[in-house]
Formats: sequence, structure tokens, C-alpha cells
Amino acid sequence: MSVPFLEVDNLRKEYSRGLINKRITFSLEANFSIEEPAIVGMMGPNGSGKTTLFELITGSNLPSSGRVMVMGQNIHDVRYDERDRLAIHYHQSYQVRSFHRTRPKFMMQPADCEYPMVHLFDEPQFNTQDGYIGFMLDFFRKLRGEGRLVFVCLHPNEPFHLNIMREVCERYIFVRDGSLTLADDFDKLVELEPVRDYLGRLVDVA
Amino acid sequence: MALFEAQHLHKRFGDRVVLEEINLSFEAGQLSGIMGPNGAGKTTCFNVLTGRYKPDRGKVLFDGQDITGMTPRAIARKGISRSFQIMNLFDDFSVIENVLIAVPQVRDRGFNMTRRVAADVAAMDKAAVVLEQVGLQDKAYENAGSLPYGDRRALEIGVALATEPRLLFLDEPTSGLGIDATARLSELILELKHAYTIVIIEHDMKFLFGLADNIAVIHWGQVITRGTPDELRANKWVQSSNLGKLA
Repeated sequence: MSVPFLEVDNLRKEYSRGLINKRITFSLEANFSIEEPAIVGMMGPNGSGKTTLFELITGSNLPSSGRVMVMGQNIHDVRYDERDRLAIHYHQSYQVRSFHRTRPKFMMQPADCEYPMVHLFDEPQFNTQDGYIGFMLDFFRKLRGEGRLVFVCLHPNEPFHLNIMREVCERYIFVRDGSLTLADDFDKLVELEPVRDYLGRLVDVA
Repeated sequence: MALFEAQHLHKRFGDRVVLEEINLSFEAGQLSGIMGPNGAGKTTCFNVLTGRYKPDRGKVLFDGQDITGMTPRAIARKGISRSFQIMNLFDDFSVIENVLIAVPQVRDRGFNMTRRVAADVAAMDKAAVVLEQVGLQDKAYENAGSLPYGDRRALEIGVALATEPRLLFLDEPTSGLGIDATARLSELILELKHAYTIVIIEHDMKFLFGLADNIAVIHWGQVITRGTPDELRANKWVQSSNLGKLA
């Protein structure tokens, strides 16, 4: 059997303002699937929707429409306290999002995994001073080697950030203004016009 | 068999996973390090190992015995001693009194200021030996509160040693110490190495690289890698960091 690791199926998230005169302030759209273990690099400006996408994948945020399937299970049908057995979101801030609890536990499914299959690293702090980067990259590779799916999300502002992405990632997703562009390798990624536009001189230095 | 083992530890606070699938083992007579950046989960891990928090899943074994879920007091009684990142000393008492309180024969009959502990020759001898081990023999009758920071740290280790531990845990021993005091602490710990089984939690990579027999690196609440200092130092990112230039 081959269940895709991650299916993001016509996913849409809208944030709006105003009760009567609804104005959409931000919308994110995503439609892609990842069939096998990989390390996926995700880049994009601040506020482009990277973290929102991660929250939708881990089920801590509700989509406006569409669905997310992790290892064949709809993440929003899995028990709140077991969603991180499927997909886990590592973020720097200690802000804890509570789930929108809309259904009692008995109406939901248990997770089919003990240890998460999808690992989402949100802006890991890469600091060249202390040497921890190497151990972090090894850990991404270890998870990948065990047959898991790893996302590394970064807003590069130093040439070495791009070098890290090129060194460790196998495919890429570029996010801007709530829409996604996928690239199969680093060269194809940096050929994309909006990516060149976004990275500017970093591409030439890296 | 390892003296101390943690198997498949998992801990969450509310919706947040703080420890995930932690496996550790500490061999008798070795100095083991647990290293990680700030906020990586080191202290939480330490608190689970020493009984302050109960893990949601997994086991902690000491000398083959399951000690998971035992109170910190019961674990301490088994011979596991810990120091704290924040110092715990009786500032108004002398250095030797701080050590005396921890000596088992004094502790067992209850500490009482109206009784002259100093008259207990055996306990005094024990305390004197400990002070010599940590290099504070000349300051035995000074107030603990008047000691410089580095000496306070040494005294804290002395208090832990006075309990005759089979395993000594040190939580961030370099925190708050300057370069000189850190170097002195490093020498002190080298003296104790192999005479005791020691586990040090520390974010200062250089400090641990100079002391530990083996190191587990914790980040995101997980053991992300482990090895001897030489193995870890071989990593090219460590080489190109400030640390690589220093080492």
C-alpha cells in the first residue's frame, strides 16, 4: 500500500475583517501532495503564510475549506491530543495555540502513529557562533533516513541560510502572499522570477 | 548494565510536547554530558530524571530498579544527588555547617541548631574531607553568603558530595560564572571525575567538550545526536563555529 505522506487538498484559509462588510485581509491557498520521505525547504517573506500552513498541517488551525491528509488520516478528524503523533510543529515562540475544540473525543479518531511522521521546523535558529547547526542538520537527515517527512521553514537573510537550504533540502516550496510555488531542486527554485525577486543579491552570493 | 537509564521518555505540558522519545544511559564512573541550546528542554529533562516531574510515558531506571514516578526525596535517598541552576545554600551559616547538614549521620537524626554538631567528630571529619575535595578548606568558617560566586558553586557541589551520592547531577554549573571561575570549576570537576558518576547539564559546549566522556545533544525536547567530544567536534559546523576556532 502506498499512502502519500501528506496531501494538502484544495486547502484554503481566509482571515477577514468586519461583520457586515466582510473584507478578506489574508488568504492562503495550497494544493499539493508529497508521496515519500523527503526534506522540504520552505521559504518566503514574513507574513506570507508559512506558519499558517504549518498550523493547518498539524491541525492546530482550521481551514476555511479543503482538507489535510497526513499518512492517510484527515488531521482534523484526529483527536486533539494525538494530532502531534502524526505531524509535529516545532516553533521558537512559547505561545501555545489551543485547539478549536468542536467535537467530543469519542467522535474522533486515534492517531495511527507513536512517533510523528511529519516534522515541521519553523524558523529553527541557525547561529554560526555556537556550532549547533551541524547537529540540527544531522537530525533532519536522521529523521529523513528513518523514512519521515521533514519541512524546514526559513526566511533567509544571510548567504549561509541559503547554503544550508541547498545542502540539506531535496525539494522546495516558495510561499508569497498566501500562494505556493513548488520546485524540484535548488537551481529550479532560484530560477523562478518571484524567488529571485525575493532573495535579491543573496542568490548571487550563496 | 548502565547505572542510570532513561527509556522512551515523553512529557507534555498541555498541548505542547516538551520531551519526545528521550533515551539516555549513564555508565558508572563516567562523566556524561547533556548539552543543548537555551530552551531546548534540558532542565525539563533533568527534572524528569530526578523525579521533580513525572513523565507521561517511559521509564527511569537506577541500578536496574524502576524509579519512575518516585518523589524527589525518595530518589535522593537512593543516592542520587542534584545541584540546581539557582543556588540553594544557607547564607547565614558557615561553609562547614552547610556541608555538615548534608552529611548522612547528621541528616538522619535531624538537624538541630541547639545541639552542637561540631562536637560530632566523625561528621566534622567527613565535612572537612569534602571541603578539601572542593578546595574550600581555608574558608570553612566564613559565612556562605559572603563567598564569591565561584566558591558558592564549589560549596554547592560540596553539599551534594557530602550526601555520599552514587550519582551526581549538576544543572548548568557554569551559569553566572565568569571565565576564571569557569576554568576553576572545570579543574574541580576533573578532580572528581571517575571517583564519582557525574551527569552535567550545560549549554556551554566548550566546557563540556573538555570534561565529558560522552555527550547527548538535546534540542526540541529530543536527543538529536550523541557521541564523544571528539566525535561531536568533528562536525564541520562545529569546526567553523567560534568553538572550532577556539578548540
